[in-house]
Amino acid sequence: MNKALKNPALYVLFILPCLILFAMFFLYPIVSSIRFSLTSWNGVSSDPKFIGFDNFVKALTEKRFWTAVRNNGYFILFSCGIQVPLIVFFSLLIAHVKKLKGLYKTAVFLPSIMSTAVIGILWGFIYEPNIGLLNNILKVFGIEPLYWLSDEKYAMLSILITNAWQWTGFYIVMVLAAIISIPRELDEAAAIDGATAVQRAFSITLPLIKPIISVVIMLSIAGAMKAADIVIVMTKGGPAGSTDVMATYMIKYAITNFKYGYGNSISVLIFVFTLILTALYQLLIARRSERIEY
Amino acid sequence: MTRLKKLLPHIVLMAYLLVILFPFLFVLFSSVKKDNNAIALNPFGIPKQFALGNYVEAWVNAKISTYFFNSLYISILSAVVSILIAAMFAFAITRMRHFKISALLSGLILVGMLIPNNALMLPIYLLVRKLGILDTHLALIIPYIANALPFSVIILAAFMRSLPGEIEEAAVMDGLKAQGIFARIVVPLTVPAMVTVFIVNFLGNWNEFLLANYFLSNDSLRTLPVGMVQFRDQYQMNYAQMSAGIVYSVVPVIVIYAILQEKIIEGVTAGSVKG
Amino acid sequence: MKMKRSLMLLISLCFAASLALSGCGSDNKSAGETGGGSSGTEPKTEEAQKAEPFELTLRHTQVGQDKEKRFAILQDVVKKTEGEIEGLTFKLDGVESDVNRKEKLRGEMAAGNPPDIFDLFGSPDSKVYAKEGKLLDLTPIIEELGIKDKFSSLEPFTYEGKVYGLPIGGSGEGFFYNKEYYDKKGWAPPKTFAELEEQLAAIKADGKVPMAAASKAGWVPLMLTNHLWSRYAGPDITNKFATGEAKWNDPNMVKAFAKHKEWVDKGYFKKGELGFEYAEYTTQFTSGEAILMYDGTWKSSVFKQGESGEGMIGKVGFFNLPPVDGGVGDQTALMRDVNNGYGFSSAVAKDPRKLEAVKAFIKNMFNEEMQIRGLVEDGVLPAMKLDASVLESSITDDLMKQIVDVLNTAQSSFPAFDSLVQADVTTEISNIQIQKLIGNQTTPEKMGEALQKAQEEANSLEE
Repeated sequence: MNKALKNPALYVLFILPCLILFAMFFLYPIVSSIRFSLTSWNGVSSDPKFIGFDNFVKALTEKRFWTAVRNNGYFILFSCGIQVPLIVFFSLLIAHVKKLKGLYKTAVFLPSIMSTAVIGILWGFIYEPNIGLLNNILKVFGIEPLYWLSDEKYAMLSILITNAWQWTGFYIVMVLAAIISIPRELDEAAAIDGATAVQRAFSITLPLIKPIISVVIMLSIAGAMKAADIVIVMTKGGPAGSTDVMATYMIKYAITNFKYGYGNSISVLIFVFTLILTALYQLLIARRSERIEY
Repeated sequence: MTRLKKLLPHIVLMAYLLVILFPFLFVLFSSVKKDNNAIALNPFGIPKQFALGNYVEAWVNAKISTYFFNSLYISILSAVVSILIAAMFAFAITRMRHFKISALLSGLILVGMLIPNNALMLPIYLLVRKLGILDTHLALIIPYIANALPFSVIILAAFMRSLPGEIEEAAVMDGLKAQGIFARIVVPLTVPAMVTVFIVNFLGNWNEFLLANYFLSNDSLRTLPVGMVQFRDQYQMNYAQMSAGIVYSVVPVIVIYAILQEKIIEGVTAGSVKG
Repeated sequence: MKMKRSLMLLISLCFAASLALSGCGSDNKSAGETGGGSSGTEPKTEEAQKAEPFELTLRHTQVGQDKEKRFAILQDVVKKTEGEIEGLTFKLDGVESDVNRKEKLRGEMAAGNPPDIFDLFGSPDSKVYAKEGKLLDLTPIIEELGIKDKFSSLEPFTYEGKVYGLPIGGSGEGFFYNKEYYDKKGWAPPKTFAELEEQLAAIKADGKVPMAAASKAGWVPLMLTNHLWSRYAGPDITNKFATGEAKWNDPNMVKAFAKHKEWVDKGYFKKGELGFEYAEYTTQFTSGEAILMYDGTWKSSVFKQGESGEGMIGKVGFFNLPPVDGGVGDQTALMRDVNNGYGFSSAVAKDPRKLEAVKAFIKNMFNEEMQIRGLVEDGVLPAMKLDASVLESSITDDLMKQIVDVLNTAQSSFPAFDSLVQADVTTEISNIQIQKLIGNQTTPEKMGEALQKAQEEANSLEE
């Protein structure tokens, strides 16, 4: 009676469209990237010249590439070190309050559905030195205007804040869903035993939402490695390349600079770094949180 | 005292809401101010005179309607097609009896989730150009379909796996073939998961910037995010008009969100939690 | 989550699979991409072709308010050409100039699908594209139309003796100044460098911004830096970087960088300049906030009826950077080039109707009438040789007169640096070094060294 579901021809038919697209847009690009990363192709000429690992040597010894790596690192640090605690804090607060829960949830989520490009434009205006919102607020406190996006000291931070503004709400709603799915009895029993709200949050809720926090961390890391559009829209990697991330650095070289081969070596490096991070994540974070089941 | 204790969380949360919402208000107010000077003199408040001309000019200069409809149809079409392809694949690997290959294939697709697709932009660019579709909407639609596959497959497969086996056994008895089981039984049952996947894919496509920026050069083909950035670069000196442009691009999204917010929140978060 | 354990295994499997795939993919650089040159003939009959409508895509850079005049001229040419060639429609596509040059066109060239007609930067861009057979050889067309010798220089668009692009206009660079303010102060345009610096200091003391600045894109501040180093180190030094005869860290170059930095440090430029786009540059000047603006002569079109600088008509003047004491070489030299123009895709040659249309476009675009219109309506210096008396009678605008005067008094000129050095070096200086200098993240000495390093790398790649 399983015959209908065993038909190999149909099986192939069902999986083929997906596999073809997957091979075209995931496997082939990786291989093509690796191949061109070993050439000095300028993207225009018809014969790419093989140059071995020169591109990689150049990238790994290039200070500006490491600036870009560092900026990806800032993205990760900022989201894990600052955003995650905030996310947990606000989720607990929203879960705790009885009134207006729906409003909070709806409102905090709003930025996450906007286009990053539009958000970049919007925040560009907020950071604008003369008439922007932020400097106007500073003026109320008598602080001199700051040049948010044009001063190397603040440019990266400004981007990180914008990025956090966009995504914090998204993760809050995710964590909130996990908190709400915790059986009420646990919390109520503890409350009867006289535990305060803060105590309950630490001893009951937090351990139970560890798995979802771990997912949030993974998604933040993935997001950090992908970040590019927000940088392009807000600073184009400037001033002086100080806000370039790996992806924007790659684009700059491959397209603007006629260095397609070199650009591809960067994309291979991005791929390698992502794999390393994923492996680290699996070893350090995922393993541990797996123990807790609910 | 207890009153204050009850209020405190609300005060903190309201402060957070202010941070979230004020930028939108700032842009909204700025969009009806006469010029940069008017913004500078009265940055926070509602303007005394409403300069609605900004909206007229932004509409003409920024061609919002063209960009908006381009984005809309590309996003919907790509999301729908990728769900269809992913559902077929998920069906085959979860419900059809080729378990060994299926396990391998589902692992392969999972790897796709790990690949940072921005990093593959250059080779995809080459590929798209080899296909001869650069500077057409297909240059976005096909990569968007492909990019959404790993996520869609994972969610749909998880959902299909959870369907009880009896249903289709009964169907087989009724003489349905695999395609019949897929179309008449599994797909209708999977609709809730498909809605989730659709929303996630749609938003992803709607907001995509990198490919849209580099793969299309014809102005009439551009999508909203790219069109907006281009508009900003050209009219940057006129913040009032730029704000009107931002309002145009934000309002439709907010309206859709207002109508569908429950579904959207549920869809997006359910997807990530399961993944 | 459990699934992920088998990931590592799968990844290796995945690579193995794709390696196999790559075997099939490795011959993919063949046909299609080489594109150029082949003059394929279409087997269609003449009549059938005539009836069929066809399209030419035209990438221009006349976008935004300040380029409306230029756009109007282009549209007239387009209309006229459409009228002459049956079935032809132009599809216009406007892209901001720097984006077109550095991102769009380069990407499209790599992809082998540039527009049929496009805004093209002469040197070094057109040479790179011409070398790869991406550009249409225009030599036979301009010979046929008899305009080959009408251009003042086709050098930037020439590769191995063939012409691959046509300059639409020339430009020069110098200071625009607020005449009203100068008159009020009783000043004249500075004759010496010391005088210029006195004026800058006085404007600053007056609470005004001495010079407009918008350095988000590096080429904007570099216009001035380029002029400064041509004063300190000689107008021809930039020619010598690519050949290794001169170095970016030459003490005189460093002096020029130091001067630019000194002006930044003294607050002579609009503050926060690294965050401003070029569009904002003009606004700083036209609003009266900044008294001087170093820019190209093309900017004069803004000070015309109906344009954004309308309010300043008659109140704007133009002067050359004054001579530097102890400077090298001609101290009146200024940047002047005919590097902006139109190029055509080599793919056009495959379609005789398109080729015909391109020919008509060239005929309608590159002639005396359009050159004069460009000059009169738009302030673009002619790229073609015009009759002196015609020229004389068509300039009525005071600012334009002053500009022509400044250009005529200069004894020599030099091309902009980015037409003389490799793209890598241009990126290094405009994306990185000049912004670092302005942002106080480097010293003039270090800047010179970093640039020299980039230059040597680029030079070594060329051999």
